[in-house]
Amino acid sequence: MAFNPKMQAFSAHINAVTLGTGDKSIVLGGENVLPFYTFDAPMENKPQIGIEISDLGLENYQAPGFQSFYEGCATMADMAKKAETVEGASFLCLYFEGADPNGHNKSVEECVAQLKEVAAVATKPLVIMGCKNVEKDAALFAAMAEALQGRNALFLSAREEDYKSIGASVAMAYNQKVGAESAVDINLAKQLNVLIIQLGVPTGSVVMNVGSAAAGYGFEYVASTLDRVKAAALAQNDNMLQMPIITPISTETWGVKESIMPEADMPEWGSAEERGIEMEITTAAACLACGSDAVILAHPASVAAIAKMIDALV
Amino acid sequence: MFDVTFQFENGQTTVISAQEGANLLELARSANVAIDAPCSGNGSCGKCRVKLLSGQLDCLPTSHITAEEAADGWRLACGSRICGDVTVLVPDIASAYQSRMKTADLSSGQEIAIFEKLMADVSAAGVSFANDFVQVELTLDAPTLDDTMPDNERITRALEAALGVETVAIPYDCLVRLAQVLREGNFRVWAAGERKGNTFRLLDVSAGQAPLCAAAIDIGTTTVSAVLTDLKTGRLLAKASSGNGQIRYGADVINRIIEQGKPGGRRKLQKAVIDETLNPLLRAMCRSAGVGKERIFRLCVASNTTMNHLLLGVDADPVRMEPYIPSFFRWQGCKARDLHLAAHGDADVVIAPNIGSYVGGDITAGVLASLLWDRDEFTLFIDLGTNGELVFGNRDFMMSCACSAGPAFEGGDISCGMRATDGAIEAVTIDRDTMEPTFRIIGEAGQKPVGLCGSGIIDLISELFRCGIISPKGQFQREGARVRRDAHGTGRYVLATEDESATGREVSLDEVDIDSFIRAKGAIFSAIDTMLRSLDMDVTVLDHVLVAGGIGSGINMKNAVNIGMFPDIDLEKFEYIGNSSLAGAYAMALSPSAEEKTYGLAANMTYLELSTNPGYMDAFVAACFLPHTNTALFPNSHPEA
Repeated sequence: MAFNPKMQAFSAHINAVTLGTGDKSIVLGGENVLPFYTFDAPMENKPQIGIEISDLGLENYQAPGFQSFYEGCATMADMAKKAETVEGASFLCLYFEGADPNGHNKSVEECVAQLKEVAAVATKPLVIMGCKNVEKDAALFAAMAEALQGRNALFLSAREEDYKSIGASVAMAYNQKVGAESAVDINLAKQLNVLIIQLGVPTGSVVMNVGSAAAGYGFEYVASTLDRVKAAALAQNDNMLQMPIITPISTETWGVKESIMPEADMPEWGSAEERGIEMEITTAAACLACGSDAVILAHPASVAAIAKMIDALV
Repeated sequence: MFDVTFQFENGQTTVISAQEGANLLELARSANVAIDAPCSGNGSCGKCRVKLLSGQLDCLPTSHITAEEAADGWRLACGSRICGDVTVLVPDIASAYQSRMKTADLSSGQEIAIFEKLMADVSAAGVSFANDFVQVELTLDAPTLDDTMPDNERITRALEAALGVETVAIPYDCLVRLAQVLREGNFRVWAAGERKGNTFRLLDVSAGQAPLCAAAIDIGTTTVSAVLTDLKTGRLLAKASSGNGQIRYGADVINRIIEQGKPGGRRKLQKAVIDETLNPLLRAMCRSAGVGKERIFRLCVASNTTMNHLLLGVDADPVRMEPYIPSFFRWQGCKARDLHLAAHGDADVVIAPNIGSYVGGDITAGVLASLLWDRDEFTLFIDLGTNGELVFGNRDFMMSCACSAGPAFEGGDISCGMRATDGAIEAVTIDRDTMEPTFRIIGEAGQKPVGLCGSGIIDLISELFRCGIISPKGQFQREGARVRRDAHGTGRYVLATEDESATGREVSLDEVDIDSFIRAKGAIFSAIDTMLRSLDMDVTVLDHVLVAGGIGSGINMKNAVNIGMFPDIDLEKFEYIGNSSLAGAYAMALSPSAEEKTYGLAANMTYLELSTNPGYMDAFVAACFLPHTNTALFPNSHPEA
């Protein structure tokens, strides 16, 4: 008897959210199948990869690979130009960690000036990542959303504590896209989406970051949350969970001991940089397999590996 | 040694001497000064405020007192140590209203009718209300120089003849008073006691006829209520309630258990409930009914497992510790004398049986009164107390579970919360456009508001949500004259200003209160959801939902559904049955058959442990939203456009 495959495409879709403008613009989401289940139905848009660069340059990325790749770059704009050349990365993620009041505490003006320089040279869509401080992010994002008018950028993130100000400024006043960030819990993710939508932000302007962890660091919670969000969105047609999911990976993986322990201290573990790349690849691959529509990576080698994986599966 | 003076708002003072370094809250407790301390002195709740009037205190810094308040003299008692002579003002807070004793007015007959109906219903379900207590009039021959029979033999013979029994037992208390009573009554007396087979146990001899009484007591973590009833007719003689005197040792069972584990703690908590709560209630009821305490021949106590352990002075620590095994589920043999209760020393104290560490005798008694066990249809019984307990089933099976709702339903843990007594706002509506409230207050006409009781909080949150004043997370999102914010930006809705309230303090509900209440309602709904799901059922199977608890004179079920506390099913299926625990205790106090029935019910109830249920936490987080994260469960609840 002939094999008769049972197709499992859903009538519900993940929302398609466009980032950027023009021919370099990308679309997150849009699919009506589980991640990489191309045997059921084609994935409307393949998962996207972003490359992260920090306003602090390579302060937190000391591995030789980063140093040689960005060699000669003096400014964030220089790094952005270089990052744009990485094949497989379709957007830039600008991480303003230096704005953190408990860290470098850079002023909003200083950060906006840096952003404007980057925006002047960047051609790919922009994703802005804040410093995670509620008050600072609110001020930073409002100013940056204004500076990036017309660029259709995504801002990470609005959380339960600051969704009102960020939703109002970023998405409603300046028509940018907003990321709703929650801490690895399907219900909290949905509650935040409900609050943001009730605020008046158009559904098509919302992307989710449902939280992440480096592989091996409680990742099973991440996996089940992603799984359940996708299942609720597709199988139950829950329109408050149909936002595409973006997952920052590099910010999770490059701080864990597997990535930072010097080879001199742990010779049997081998090259520290290779370990860091492997952590990044492993975590990103797992998130994509569980339902992320986009991942953010830092190392060019990780971008290459994940891009290859996506192309092979889609 | 230093003198510590506690001054009350009514001008009275209590002075106690203390050593340097003594903790002010501990001192207050040892001096019987009631300072509200729901967190049991951990410094986490910020409720044990006192105002420094003179002298000095050595205080730990706390975020609960602003710099301005500190300058005004406000301190947290739990974080203050004695370093010299000191006088502090103990504020007359809403919780002081909470612990005031209240004797119910039975003159309207309404309360009496509730218990008479219960007795009729339970009898109709096949439980006999007959008991073996009897009272007979005896006419004895007075002794003479020729008739030299001693008093005890004389009354024994007379009782044997009058009742046809073979033996008569005369307890010590009766013997002591026998000579006097017989002579006062000229050897015409009334003898009361209990007949067991061929034996008669004499309990009291009186010169005149007096009622034979039973007392039923519901000991809640927050509130204690009791009734005094006539053993022969079941008629209600008195009813009273008050706050549980243990409140100052912690608002919830966990804090109480921790407190009883400290040296001398068990005795202290036992005293707080018996000497300060039960005995004043029993005495007040006896006074109101005009009977002596020695006429209470039988008592029944319905309470949660922790409360009955603390009442008996039994270590409750195992209730808190895995694997959560208490000292007893069912235990008989307690006499009033053992606990120094204000009743006849030989009176049996019946303890309604427990099912688990967190489903206790209040629930088994409540289930008895609810008649859930006599129904064919699927019925859900919900007791809204400091712990929320659920029983689901019908005449074929019963399943129970408990969830920690916190004291919010009884007004605890809410800044302006109070029990459903005089001055409590029990129902609220809000005009959507003007945001102005209309409310109903418990008490006589003209009563000014003091605080909010559980039913009032449900109404208020439902109305705030309906009017779009708060978000589904309970944060204020509309501004107006009624919405005020503190220095940290925490919003609150003002029901009555300082001038409009009875206490001179604003009556309001803030975001922290709303958050506490959303958790409480989330705990209830998720428990319902999880229990039904564990049986592979959902809310559509429910034919009846019986809601019990001292939450108010009634709950607006529509509002309770709107906030996602109860499932969105036909409102006619809901019924508020009041304090079912007290009702069950009443039945058990009157009737040995009801007592036996309750033991049977307890033995046949299964217990679902939610804390180890993997789906519960998830369901809880989903339910901590107005009305629920899964809006499909509550299609009719949303802010009005």
